[in-house]
This record gives sequence, C-alpha cells and structure tokens, in this order.
Amino acid sequence: MTSLTRPVRPTGFSVLRVGRGSFLLHRRATLVAVLLGAVLAVTAVVYLCVGESFVGPTEVVRVLCSAVGGGQPSPDEFVVGTLRMPRLAVGLLAGAAFGIAGSFIQTVARNPLASPDVIGVTQGAGAATVAAMTFGLAAPGTLPYVSILGGLAAAALVYVFAWRRGLHAARFVLIGIGISVALGSLTQLFLTKGDFLVAQQAKVWLTGSLNGRGYDHAAPLALILLVLTPALLWAARAQRTVLFDDDTATAQGVRLGRVRLCLTVLGVVLASVATAAAGPVDFVALLAPQIARRLTRTAHIPLVGSALTGALIVTVADLLARKLFSPIELPVGVFTAVVGAPYLMWLIVRTRSRSGGTS
Amino acid sequence: MPRATRRRIGPTAGSALLLVLAGLLLLAVLLSLAAGSRQIAPSVVVDALLHGGGSDDAQVIWSLRVPRTLIGVMAGVALAVAGTVMQGITRNPIAEPGILGVSQGASVGVVCAIAFLGVHSLNGYVWFAFAGAGIAAVAVYVIASGGRGGASPVKLALAGTAMNALLASVVSGIATTDARALDEFRFWHVGSLSGRSAEIAGQTWPFLLAGLLLVAAMARGLDALALGEDVAKGLGHNVPLLRILGGLGATVLTGVAVAAAGPIAFTGLAVPHIARALVGADHRWVLPAAALLGPVMLLVADVLGRVVFPPSEVPVAVMTALLGVPFLIALVRRKAVVAA
Repeated sequence: MTSLTRPVRPTGFSVLRVGRGSFLLHRRATLVAVLLGAVLAVTAVVYLCVGESFVGPTEVVRVLCSAVGGGQPSPDEFVVGTLRMPRLAVGLLAGAAFGIAGSFIQTVARNPLASPDVIGVTQGAGAATVAAMTFGLAAPGTLPYVSILGGLAAAALVYVFAWRRGLHAARFVLIGIGISVALGSLTQLFLTKGDFLVAQQAKVWLTGSLNGRGYDHAAPLALILLVLTPALLWAARAQRTVLFDDDTATAQGVRLGRVRLCLTVLGVVLASVATAAAGPVDFVALLAPQIARRLTRTAHIPLVGSALTGALIVTVADLLARKLFSPIELPVGVFTAVVGAPYLMWLIVRTRSRSGGTS
Repeated sequence: MPRATRRRIGPTAGSALLLVLAGLLLLAVLLSLAAGSRQIAPSVVVDALLHGGGSDDAQVIWSLRVPRTLIGVMAGVALAVAGTVMQGITRNPIAEPGILGVSQGASVGVVCAIAFLGVHSLNGYVWFAFAGAGIAAVAVYVIASGGRGGASPVKLALAGTAMNALLASVVSGIATTDARALDEFRFWHVGSLSGRSAEIAGQTWPFLLAGLLLVAAMARGLDALALGEDVAKGLGHNVPLLRILGGLGATVLTGVAVAAAGPIAFTGLAVPHIARALVGADHRWVLPAAALLGPVMLLVADVLGRVVFPPSEVPVAVMTALLGVPFLIALVRRKAVVAA
C-alpha cells in the first residue's frame, strides 16, 4: 500500500462530510439542481400571478407566507390560494413523478425510447382508471391505487409478450407501442360504455389537463412520493451501479436482475400515480431525464435534476396552455406533445446503434 | 416481402379462393345491414334491398345502414390495398397507414381545411387529406431512414408513433380552440362509420378508383421489389419511380379512406398478411384478395362495435385496433421483424 498525501477523488466531485458520514457530490449536477430549483421557484410565482386576473408578485408571496405562518388573510387569498395553488401543486408533483419515473426506466432500458409513455404504462394506468370510473368499481379516493395496478399490469403485459429467449430492446419498444395502442382503444371502449356524465368526467381527465385539479388530486400523489422516499434514496445509488456493463456490475456484487426489477417497478408506480393525478401528460417522462442529463453532463441520469426538470416542464406547459389562447384553455398534454414528439423524432434520426442493449 | 413464402397459386385455385372471399364479403355486408340496435331479419333485409318499400325496417336500411355499409366497404378496400402497397415499397412487414401516421396526417389536413378555410364538402377537403397524408408519409419515412441502420421496423414504428402523437395534439388543439364545430372535429380523432351520408360514398368512388388503378398497374413491380432492390433493377424496373408511384397510390387511398371514415388503424396491417398467407407472394393475387378481405374486417369490426354496448356505438377505429394489435404482437415476436 502506498501512502497518499492527498486522498484520491474523482474529478468533478466534492466531498461533503456530515458527522461521520460523507458523500460525493457532483459539482456540476449540484449547481444545475440549485439553478433548476431557483428557476422553478420563479416559475411557480409567475404561475400564481398570471391568470384571468393578474395578481402582483408581492401579493402572491404574502399569500404564501400567510398560508405557512398564518398572518392576516390577503384579499387575493381566494384566487391565489384556492384556485391556483392546488393546480400548481398537482403540476409540480406530477411533473416530478414523471421525471423520476422516466429516469428509472430509461436507466434500466439503457434507451431513452423506452420511457413509460412510449411503452404503454401511462395508457395502462389510464385504461384502468377509466374502467373503474365508468363501471363504478372504485370509490374516488382509491383511483390512484387502481391506476398503479393498471400501470403495473401494462408493464407486465409488455414484458411477457416481449420476452423470447431474452429481451431485445427493439422488440420491447415495438410490443410496447402495440400494447399502448390496444390500451388506448380499450379506454375508448370503456368511455362508450359509461353513462354520459361519468364519460364526460373521464374525458376531461383523459385529456391530460390540470384544469379543475385540486388538493384531493395532489394529496395521494404527495403521500405516495413521501412513502417512497427511502426507496428513492436507495434507487439514486442503485441507478449508477446498473450503468456498468453486466459483467462488471455482477463482479462488483450488484444483483442486477433484482435491482433492475425494483427500479422498473418504482418507475411504473410513479408514472401511474402521476397519471392518476394529472391524466396522461405525454412525453414528460421521455423529455425530463434527457434534458437533465444534458445539463449536468453526467454519465448517469441525475435523479434530482430529472424531477426538477419534469416539474418545470409541466408547470411551464400548463402556464402556456392557460395563457396562450386565453380565454380558451388547452390541455397541458397538447403542449408537452408538441415539444416532445419532435424530440422523439430527433432521437430516432440520431440513434447510433439500433438495439441499444437489453433491458 | 423478403420472408414471404415463394409459393405461387394457380389460376384455378386463385379464382376459387377469390370467389370464396367474395362470398365472405357478401355475408359481411348482409350482417352489417341486419345487425345493430334494431335487429332486422336477413330475409327482410334482402326484401327491402330488392323491392324497397316504406316499412320502418326498409327506412332504416336504406337511409342509415346502406350508406354506412357502402362507406365501410370503400374504406376497407382503400386501407387494405394501401397497407399492401406500403409493405411492398418499404419492404417492411409492419408498414401501415395508421401506424406510420399517414392516416393522422390526412386527418390533420381535413381539420385544417374545415377550421381555417371553411371547406365543408368532401370534394373540397379530400385534396387536403391527400396533401396531409403525403406530407406525413414522406416525413415519417425520412425521419426513420435517418441515422444508422436505415428505415428498420422499430424506427418506422417509433417515427410513426411520434408523428401520431404530434398530429393528434394538433387536432385536439384546433378542436379545443375552435369550439363552434367540436362535434364535427371529434370524428377526425377516431375514425367511425356512423352518421356519414350516402352523398359521401357517391363523392368518394372516383378517387378510390383512381388509387386502385394506379396500384393495380404496378403489381408486377411490387413482385420484383420483393426480391430486393438490385434484382428489381436488374429485371428492368425503375425502382425510384416504382416507390414514388406506390407512395402516391398509397397516399391517395389513405386520403380517400380518411376523408370518408376518419383515421382507422390496423386494417392495413392485418389484412395484407392474411391475404399473403392465403394466396402466396404474387401481388396480382395478393392485391385483389386484400381488397376483398379489407372490407370484411372493417364491417365485422363495425358490427362488433354496434352490438357490444347497445344502444351506444363504439367507433370502428377502436374495434379494428383491438382486433389488429394481437396481429402486430405476433408479427413482432417472429424474429424477422426485429432483425430486419
């Protein structure tokens, strides 16, 4: 053993010591996360200001403070606190959940194309939710859990059909596209079955709109994110070990199969819960991790960055959807699709290898 | 197709098979006329068709079910033949107007014509459907051929998915901002045979005929192309011209189908494969077989959609997708598609 005067440290990282523990922090990733957080905070305030009537930023901050600290009520309490806040909360949480889900599944598949909205997870969650709504099978409070079941079932279906002496990325994506079309059609079928009022309700939900979303949509999402926090902390570490090629990872003692399964299940659950709250908002799970990774320039997909980028995408898209053609509100999914679909096309044009590894 | 059996079918066996398929189509037409929220006995259907008459049943048949069935037959023929041609010229087993986003392109063309130019007649907006279908087809093919590996099935399907998502959001964006005709637009989101008048069928057939003639003229060229580009060139075919003409034919047929019935996916995928399994690889037999089978599939899907949740109706595009997806999965699980 040679003694070193300076500890060996990977380039680009700093060591953070807390008590007896220590972490490696990627400097650029940390900087990006802080900046994204700041941009997100500004966007959130703008989001609360803008609408049918304009509320000044100072007034918005006062409402926020009174909500937290309980000062004297502001005259704009109703517009900002009751109308816009819940909607913002749903957008932020759903965007973050989509971003995290995308980062897990893209990491496991080693392929940006295999994001939950391309391979049918969100469509599965949608079909299950609409079925539960129109057949009256579930109470409104349990809808997010029905949605999780739907997402998991869709993922399992894609996996079973794509498995043939191993998984091939191209086959996996093609089967995923097929299953998502089938599930989309099933959703339409269920809509026809339901009585008019329920069908109308389900249709509004299906457009992927944040219009009329309240705390009752945000609460289960927040709860599930909170419950999953320990799992997410574990996953942030596990995400990097999966990146090694199979032999290296196995030699380092990583149980690849198990880690991949856990990451996939986590991703599917998060995408489904987000779908239950905000409806199928397309392409956020595809876009957010890719943008975040380009910002941080890391080899792996940064978890915090993806979550923040996802939240930012949904918030900005909803802001545009509300204001661009006002007084008409567009569904937020329209905007994310207009940005996301060309990006997917660009990804196809510049793919280097056809298969992109197994998943 | 590269992997299709080289089995050829003789003229006698081929004609017999086509006769059987024609019989099948006749049955499907009868079924489509008889079934629905008001069940009508087949004998009454035949009687009403032959003698007309003023009974309620005859009214229902002549004013509602005959136009609907006619449009179903036309759209079925157009989509099945378009799918066969697309699979031939791209040499790709999963090429199909719906999956590749061509139908959705035609749909956007129609929606733009209605929303921005105030065109409301089929003779007017069918041209926009052609333009939209053509642009979408070229765009998807160019995107899929970019990068390494050429236009492989997975890249075509992904480019088509992206195109579908983009165009669907354009349609819903226009439909949301243009509230006056929301009902008119809903039709262009999910294809359906309901509520289309006989007038539409009357205006559609010249375009359909033109597309079919164009495609029929190049059946031999498609056969040569199935053997590979170099072989086709060696046999004296002009491959680029063949592709352009084929693309034009497929675009016209898709545009006709969409203008008549809205975007309907998966008919053009499943039918050519069934036809090839029945009559072999020779396009002079595959094309007529597909033209007979296409309407059978579409009409059966439509009847299923009418009876599954009476009295409401499931749009035919939903039913064809449900019938067609197992086909896609079976095709993809065969190794040839992914390794291509």
